[in-house]
Amino acid sequence: MNIRNKPALREKLAAEYALGTLRGGARRRFETWLRTDAPLRAVVASWQGRLGALAELGRPVTPPARVWEGIERRVNGTAGAAAPAAAPRTPWWRFWQSSAARPWGVLALAASAAAVVLAVRVADLSGTAEVAGPQQIAALTDVQSRTALVVMADTARGRLDVRVAQDVRVPSDRTLQLWAITRAGKPRSLGILPDNRSTDFALDARASGPDVALLAISLEPRGGSPDPNGPTGPVLYKGSWARL
Amino acid sequence: MSHPSDRDDQLYHLLAAVGLQDRRAFRTLYDATAAKLFGFALRVLHKEELAEEAVQDAFVAIWHAAGSYQPHLAAPLTWMATIVRNKALDVRRRAQAAGAGDADAVHVDADAADLVADTDAGPDERAALSRDARALADCMDTLAGRQRQAIGMAYLHDLSHTDIAGRLGLPLGTVKTWIRRGLDRLRDCLTRKEDAP
Repeated sequence: MNIRNKPALREKLAAEYALGTLRGGARRRFETWLRTDAPLRAVVASWQGRLGALAELGRPVTPPARVWEGIERRVNGTAGAAAPAAAPRTPWWRFWQSSAARPWGVLALAASAAAVVLAVRVADLSGTAEVAGPQQIAALTDVQSRTALVVMADTARGRLDVRVAQDVRVPSDRTLQLWAITRAGKPRSLGILPDNRSTDFALDARASGPDVALLAISLEPRGGSPDPNGPTGPVLYKGSWARL
Repeated sequence: MSHPSDRDDQLYHLLAAVGLQDRRAFRTLYDATAAKLFGFALRVLHKEELAEEAVQDAFVAIWHAAGSYQPHLAAPLTWMATIVRNKALDVRRRAQAAGAGDADAVHVDADAADLVADTDAGPDERAALSRDARALADCMDTLAGRQRQAIGMAYLHDLSHTDIAGRLGLPLGTVKTWIRRGLDRLRDCLTRKEDAP
């Protein structure tokens, strides 16, 4: 059965799935749809959000101190072993939400320096930028600070160039999507990368304006994020503008 | 979510710091949310020691998963409550497996499943809730008492339509219809509130 074109049924099943009353074979079938249907996952997530607020309606009860002690023991026990191997995951949304403590400023500087070197090479190769060239440039890096993409804003040409490093591999059923994250924390979609390779977009202030704190690339289902307000997939790369 | 409150904002920052393995922020997050979440776990499990276990499991999971929390999908407390519910249901299944035959290991109280009635929410209590929860409480008010109970029993105790029908002494078809209509009504009511300024 295909439920992609049946919005009322999708809504009903998602609600029952989140509530827990979808059972047995129907539940298993629904879970196989969920794996390949990101918009359906979004419907489930919004139901989980609605119902999750039920937790707040009960009376609060302070737990005994031993509860925290147990948590602390278990977290301490695992942190030493697990943290270095797993390379602590840095939540990408931390960057624009925290106004305090910016150790990443140093990282961003280093990344920008790398970007400039890359940009010069790219400009040499393309041979189009003898005179003007881009005015803003950003290197988007992964969690290990390896550069995966370079984004260049050229106001003279009105283009936003996105160059993807050769070793970036994306599954064929996934799409890389470029976002500008504003200082207020709002993601703006700038577009998806056709075939996940280098491309260019028309440039406007949504991408390069002074209110943009960060550029980010997320991994989305084919065709891009089903949620117009932000990424649904993991954010793989991020970086900030350097003005040249 | 669409209208983050100051408190949501504070919890976002704490969760973000926890995602960076900040232990002090983790303690602050625990202090800010443990009573709500423990109260919730108690509603699901009815036994202190089981609720304690569920809250511990949940906070250990929150410590490890905070980095992947996605703010556009759920308010922070809602996200944490979903984790507590999953852990509580796991604990309940374990307890039932261990005490096989002890049908009372975890009992289900239909009246206690009516969270809105229990909150007995006067204006002061409602004011202390997050915006999402306040909206939900208002919308739950528009449902019939038994409809609220049925939804609460399903969510809190992971009961099937058949279980709920048995406990409320109602025909299965009636329970299914009530729940479906109740959910529709909740969604419409919450959507109207979100769209309102």
